[in-house]
Amino acid sequence: MLTEREFQRYDRQIMLYGFGEEGQEKLKKAKVFIAGAGGLGSPIALYLSAAGAGTIRIADRDKVELSNLNRQVLYHDEDIGKGKAKSAAEKLEKLNPDIKIEAIAETITDANAAQLVGDSDLIVDAMDNLPTRYLLNKTAIDKKIPFFHGAVYGFEGRAMTVIPGKSACLNCIYHGATAPSEKFPVIGITPAVIGCIQAAEVIKYITGLGELLTGRLLNFDAIKMTFNEFRVKRDPDCEHCGKL
Amino acid sequence: MSVEIELSSIFGRFTDNKLTFQVEGRTVGECLKGLFKQYPRLEKLLLTKEGELQRAYDVYVNGESAYPKEMTKKVKDGDKLNLVFIIFGG
Repeated sequence: MLTEREFQRYDRQIMLYGFGEEGQEKLKKAKVFIAGAGGLGSPIALYLSAAGAGTIRIADRDKVELSNLNRQVLYHDEDIGKGKAKSAAEKLEKLNPDIKIEAIAETITDANAAQLVGDSDLIVDAMDNLPTRYLLNKTAIDKKIPFFHGAVYGFEGRAMTVIPGKSACLNCIYHGATAPSEKFPVIGITPAVIGCIQAAEVIKYITGLGELLTGRLLNFDAIKMTFNEFRVKRDPDCEHCGKL
Repeated sequence: MSVEIELSSIFGRFTDNKLTFQVEGRTVGECLKGLFKQYPRLEKLLLTKEGELQRAYDVYVNGESAYPKEMTKKVKDGDKLNLVFIIFGG
């Protein structure tokens, strides 16, 4: 049941055709795991909090640095040196005190990924490296929960939604390929765009609205100001999802 | 066969920020060779010593992945290739 305060807070989205009170209640019951509280994690967490996702668990081991502030809009100058997960939780609780925020200041590893995700309904990828992305992709497949992929570099970003056993996963399309983990160039608008696309996908999945970004890798290039899609298929020999 | 190649903007530093090209070729590899003639630094970046595409890059032909044997994938007149980098930032 929504409270009177929640009816007021979410009035404009409850008005949406197909969304309604039922959609808002689904969001309220949802448990979302956001892996990373950086450039992508900031808009994802902000917009899912504002929309009323009931429980948001956000994991990041890092501390805020001055060089983060061109894109990680959850943090202010005064947060430099603070832990990202805790600082993010403080902001999100102020934005929406009607939801529950769980801050996890840990590194996501093979040993703890399944436990950190816990009973979350889905995983949102806001990581800054490919190995942890593959780990989270595999964790989502093992738990049979959706994985909302996003990545950025420079003015370019990509997003794709993975429904285990039904659509191509990250490993189906990249086959375990890695790129050198290094300091990468990025401007804040790129994770803002991609993070909002991921948040939109999460909201659509939870509420059952619209067509998900499955079987399609969305490519955004702000230099050309284009969005294009690459069609991607499940790999029957995929080491992550081939047996589903 | 006349084929269009569109590069991700991150390759712009190797091509004076030119991102679309019209090249000739019957395979992805032949088309890329046309590009490498103009921009030899791209070849070093994209290909292994054996002449295969480095795993950090992908080629899509008319929106579909050319993996796994990208370089020998046949193309036809009017096809469009997209060359992209597997991006990892967040």
